[in-house]
Amino acid sequence: MGATVSAPARRTTSPKRERSGRAERRGRRQIFFTAFLGLGLIAVVLVHVWLRLQVVKTGYVLSTASKLQSHLEQENQELKIELATITSPDRLESLAHRRLGLVQPEKGQIIILP
Amino acid sequence: MRRQSQNNHRRLATAKILFLLMFLVIGGRAIQLQVLQGAKLMRLGQRQHLKEWIVLPKRGALFDRAGEPLALSMESQSVYARPHRIQDPHQLSGSLAQILNLPVADVKQKITAEKPFVWLKRQVSSMEAEKIQALNADGIGMFYEPSRQYPQGQLAGQLIGFVGRDSEGLEGLELKYNEYIRGETGSSITERDALGRRVLVQGVEGLHIPPGSDVHLTLDTSIQHIAEKELEASIVKYRAKAGVAIVVEPFTGEVLALANYPSFDPNGYAKESANQRRNRAVTDSFEPGSTFKTILAAASLEEGIVGKDDLFYCEMGKYPYAGKIIHDTHPYGWLSFSKILQVSSNIGFTKVAEKLKKDRYSRYIEKFGFGQLTGIDVPGEVAGAVRKPESWSAIDLATHAFGQGISTTPLQLVMAYAAIANGGFLMRPYIARQVISPQGEVVLENQPHVVRRVISEKTAKLLSSMLQDVTNEGGTGVMANVEGFDVAGKTGTAQKADPVRGGYAAKKRVGSFVGFVPANNPRLVALVLIDEPEVNVYGGVVAAPVFRNIAQGALRHLAVAPERAAPIPAPQREPEMSRRVAKRNNAGTPDLSADATPDFVGLSLREALEKAQTLKLKLRLQGNGYVVKQSPAPGGRWSEDETFVLNLQG
Repeated sequence: MGATVSAPARRTTSPKRERSGRAERRGRRQIFFTAFLGLGLIAVVLVHVWLRLQVVKTGYVLSTASKLQSHLEQENQELKIELATITSPDRLESLAHRRLGLVQPEKGQIIILP
Repeated sequence: MRRQSQNNHRRLATAKILFLLMFLVIGGRAIQLQVLQGAKLMRLGQRQHLKEWIVLPKRGALFDRAGEPLALSMESQSVYARPHRIQDPHQLSGSLAQILNLPVADVKQKITAEKPFVWLKRQVSSMEAEKIQALNADGIGMFYEPSRQYPQGQLAGQLIGFVGRDSEGLEGLELKYNEYIRGETGSSITERDALGRRVLVQGVEGLHIPPGSDVHLTLDTSIQHIAEKELEASIVKYRAKAGVAIVVEPFTGEVLALANYPSFDPNGYAKESANQRRNRAVTDSFEPGSTFKTILAAASLEEGIVGKDDLFYCEMGKYPYAGKIIHDTHPYGWLSFSKILQVSSNIGFTKVAEKLKKDRYSRYIEKFGFGQLTGIDVPGEVAGAVRKPESWSAIDLATHAFGQGISTTPLQLVMAYAAIANGGFLMRPYIARQVISPQGEVVLENQPHVVRRVISEKTAKLLSSMLQDVTNEGGTGVMANVEGFDVAGKTGTAQKADPVRGGYAAKKRVGSFVGFVPANNPRLVALVLIDEPEVNVYGGVVAAPVFRNIAQGALRHLAVAPERAAPIPAPQREPEMSRRVAKRNNAGTPDLSADATPDFVGLSLREALEKAQTLKLKLRLQGNGYVVKQSPAPGGRWSEDETFVLNLQG
């Protein structure tokens, strides 16, 4: 019974309607495909922009770090100069004489150990 | 229905055409921008967001032999003005003058000048730079510039030299090794943002410009300091015009110290005169006087013309020769050759020179390196004036015998004495040991270099022993004697030529002493030269004590043990020590019976050594501080051959 009912129903679908349905599905697929392509393209562009922003951000970090490095190197060099200045033999000798009252050893004060 | 579908198709086609046209327009514009005008627009864009950062050259450092820095580089800021951009020059000139410590009128003149750019002050201090930054004035800015610092001040100033504003070496070692230590100027293209800040999107590799190489010298800062201090003290004491002191290692030719007076501080080279900047040790030649007699002595001994004990008659102080009268300071009769050297007799040496003849003498003058550059790595060296024997007049043989009529540099003379000290080899002196690149590679290395053998080892040893007599009782160089060491050397008191009147100046003298110590195993050769002293002119008085003090300090610094023990003074008890140590004996006075073992317990190391020396005992020391235990134990019996073992603590 069921088979006798369904057979005429299938037969009622006209070939024209079938064709338009197929065209509609194809059109929908095309739209999906285009939308997917567009979204993909947008995603690529966004990723590119994001990466570019990251590069710039890292560039700023590097720039700050580089400036800090230069500053520290300069400070290190200044400290080296200061150390060398305050430990110069002339200054040390004068401080030893004036502040600590040190004198050169007298005759016989140096004894060489056997 | 059909019509609607057709409409849709039409609209779709229109939209397609519209979009196609739009894409065509956009594409066309893109082609115009990217292809047709691409290069030009790229340039314009890059000018806006790319900037070339100049990386200044980082000059290498100079270090002494122990690694003490003598010259270092850093960056300083220099303040400039762009006068056209300044709004209120009147008010600004006051602020700038106050910060930079300059006259207001000068600043105002500069910032109102009709120039696009003027320097206000170069290489300002960091405090001044901060204040200028805080001022934040339009038309005022700062540039980083390299600045050279000499932390030891005037120490070895003439030797180190200095650099100009552009970081190029102008004198001294800074000039000699400029190509190694200069470093390179580099640049790096980096992006910048709208505020002009640097954005290192390409990384930091481009910013790494290799700095210049470091130069490690043979110079010893401590010995240099001693030499400069002692030289200055003598020059002030004897009111002299100038002076030089050189200390050299005889077996290698390494220069340990090279001092000049007047001194020169390269930190403010522009303020110092050319007279102060001159490195007299290599740029000035002088008539050496009696110190040159050693050269004649070496030649005569080497040629076998004279022996140490050969006798010469010294004409009681006056000797007519080639139409002139040659004088001695004191009248002498018969003297041995070694005595002639000891008392520095001009007549005696004239007679020796007569025996040697001028050709042979001239050959040795040349062999010892006089009249030639020593080859030291310092700019500005002169060769001195030595004439060929063919051009010598009759009197020249005599004057050359006692070091007049010939000129040498102080460095040539000290190297000639180094040849006698090291057994007969003339060495090439050098001041830079190594040049080391930033990567740690040795770019240049100076090694000891034998120029030639000048005399045999036997002659050198004999001459050394004769030169020792000069510093012993009866010699002219007694004041050069260093306690505990044998010193070999020679004094010199030379007349100075008068360039205006010709001949020799009546009162101008050069007093000098050159010698080496310890005489039998030399560790250093030193020369001291005092130019035009007024109070006393004799080398034995003005220069010999300077030699002694330099040698004493240098030997102590080099930890050279004295050859002879110094006499031990009477011990002095110190109250503080008495409190610290309960049980004490008087170190100097033996408090024991003939056969009782001496008691060292409670004595300090020095007191124990003094006591052992007084009692002529052999000691073996263990530890430091005060004696806490001894073997054999005090009070018992002991034999004279026994070695005492002392345990020290504290």
